[in-house]
Amino acid sequence: MTATALPVRESIPWGRWGLRALAFTYLGVMLIIPLAVILQDGLRAGLGGLWRAVTLPVAWHALTLTLWTAAVMALINAIMGTLTAYVLVRYTFPGKSLLNAMVDLPLAIPTLVTGVMLVVLYGPQGAVGGWLAQQLGWRIIFAPPGIILALLFITFPFVVRAVQPVLLGLDPEPEEAAATLGARSWTVFRRVTLPALALPIISGTLLSVARAVGEFGAIVIVAGNIPLRSQTAAVYVLGEVESENRLGASAVSVVMLALAFGLVMLVDWLQRRGSPGRAE
Amino acid sequence: MNTKLLARTGLAVLLFSLLAACAGPTATPMPGNAHGPIKLILGAYTTPREAYGELIPMFAAQWKQKTGQEITFEESYLASGAQSRAIVEGFEADVTALSLQADIDRIAKAGLITHDWQAASHKGMVSTSVVAFAVRTGNPKNIHAWADLAQPGLEILTPNPKTSGGAMWNILALYGAALRGRVNGVPQGDEAAATEYLQAVLKNVTVMDKGARESITNFEKGVGDVAITYENEVLVGQQKGQDYELIIPGSTILIENPVAVVDTYVDKHGTREVAEAFVNFLFTKEAQEVFAQYGLRSVDPEVAQATASQYPPVQDLFTIQEFGGWATATPKFFGDSGIYTLAIAAVQQP
Repeated sequence: MTATALPVRESIPWGRWGLRALAFTYLGVMLIIPLAVILQDGLRAGLGGLWRAVTLPVAWHALTLTLWTAAVMALINAIMGTLTAYVLVRYTFPGKSLLNAMVDLPLAIPTLVTGVMLVVLYGPQGAVGGWLAQQLGWRIIFAPPGIILALLFITFPFVVRAVQPVLLGLDPEPEEAAATLGARSWTVFRRVTLPALALPIISGTLLSVARAVGEFGAIVIVAGNIPLRSQTAAVYVLGEVESENRLGASAVSVVMLALAFGLVMLVDWLQRRGSPGRAE
Repeated sequence: MNTKLLARTGLAVLLFSLLAACAGPTATPMPGNAHGPIKLILGAYTTPREAYGELIPMFAAQWKQKTGQEITFEESYLASGAQSRAIVEGFEADVTALSLQADIDRIAKAGLITHDWQAASHKGMVSTSVVAFAVRTGNPKNIHAWADLAQPGLEILTPNPKTSGGAMWNILALYGAALRGRVNGVPQGDEAAATEYLQAVLKNVTVMDKGARESITNFEKGVGDVAITYENEVLVGQQKGQDYELIIPGSTILIENPVAVVDTYVDKHGTREVAEAFVNFLFTKEAQEVFAQYGLRSVDPEVAQATASQYPPVQDLFTIQEFGGWATATPKFFGDSGIYTLAIAAVQQP
């Protein structure tokens, strides 16, 4: 028992437990407690009360509008995001690294600015919007297409950034073998490359939906916000907060939270199930 | 070794910040004395921002001359409802100026305003305006009265009454004019016909913005044929070079904007004297003239007289008392089965 041995032996549990305690405290203070407060608030009137608040026609419409616009966005994102990632990984062209860096920009722009930009571009007085309205009678802004456009912009990086690393790490041999055996490039992509990308495409898409469900800043500018027509869940929640209906606000928030949580859990499950499966 | 250090420092930082957060902003009760500088916090709604930008230096100069004391202002401008809630939740405004009485009542109900603030001059209402229309230059859709808003195919902007306390004025103005028999085709006192007319107008609403300012901004961007808004929003827009036109309907509601000292916070900060002086100053002739410059109708009869050319009298002007005050009107129109709530649901049915 020397004088120097003592602090060393003591220091081991300190580091291990200290780190854990720090992480758990941080998680608790920053994440779990706030989420628990929303949940508790939404369940104040019990499950029945939550159900009644959520199935009010205006609330229900807001939720379904949020979901179907997010679903359309997800479909477009899955296809175009994969395509973008494929081009960014497999082709070389001037300005590639600049383009690659730009993919993440939507995460840094305040979504309110995104909304304003879309109105300037696609609004009835906008360059593109005015033409579309005159030539085709299409209405983009203050209608669901505007919501989808805003969501697409905001969630742009999700699929691209999920697919890119997998594509980069993909073993080129099976693709080359297929090509050697006479498969056309589309067949190679469909039968060899795409199956390996399925998991990142799905998880990227689901995460983009989770992100889209709660979007407020851009939507409130582009949607029109008319109850039962163009009002999404997040905008509905603001209305209920402002008119002192906390139960209505937190009930719809709980549903949005549950949706996002379910999607993230699904992604997690797919990834855990997917990783050993691919190795076979 | 590194991990250990990291963990220890991290934990220490976390604990310290937690403690700091608990100690929080409750400190600093700085009693105002006649010598040191004093700070006054104003929690207001967004519309009179420009007016206060001029009024505050005027008051500070007067106060300095009278007492020798330097005064600094902290100003916060939010949508009226949000500001009112912020004050209830602990934003320590000494003086609050809001868009409608219901928002002051909320603060009073929370026990933060304990004096009878309506005992002040003009019942605590420091400025007024009226619900009016903004239309495109030359008035191409020929909009002159409430009835014109119901024509099929017209595109109307009005903020959402759920998010903008002030937007309730628009709905009440429209419905009130109809009930008073001032809308062609709606017999006086006929609630069913007035509701039908409300539905016809709501059917034409293409965008419901969060607040009055956002709504008029959207109109400025070229959206819609007409914006139902407040006279002062249009006047300020025109002052800034926007070229839309103002139409004041023959019958409309008088918007009254209250101001009050928040008792709990002035007592805590020791600022009662200066806060009350500031509120009194807002009712003086010179302050009222500033409000009039920024599009608001003055409550001072002399100033109102002098600015009558800019603010023509309305033929048939009514107030919130038409509906028995805010305490009655809010649930009756905007509650779960209120007149507006049902009407907006009815027009969206396919």
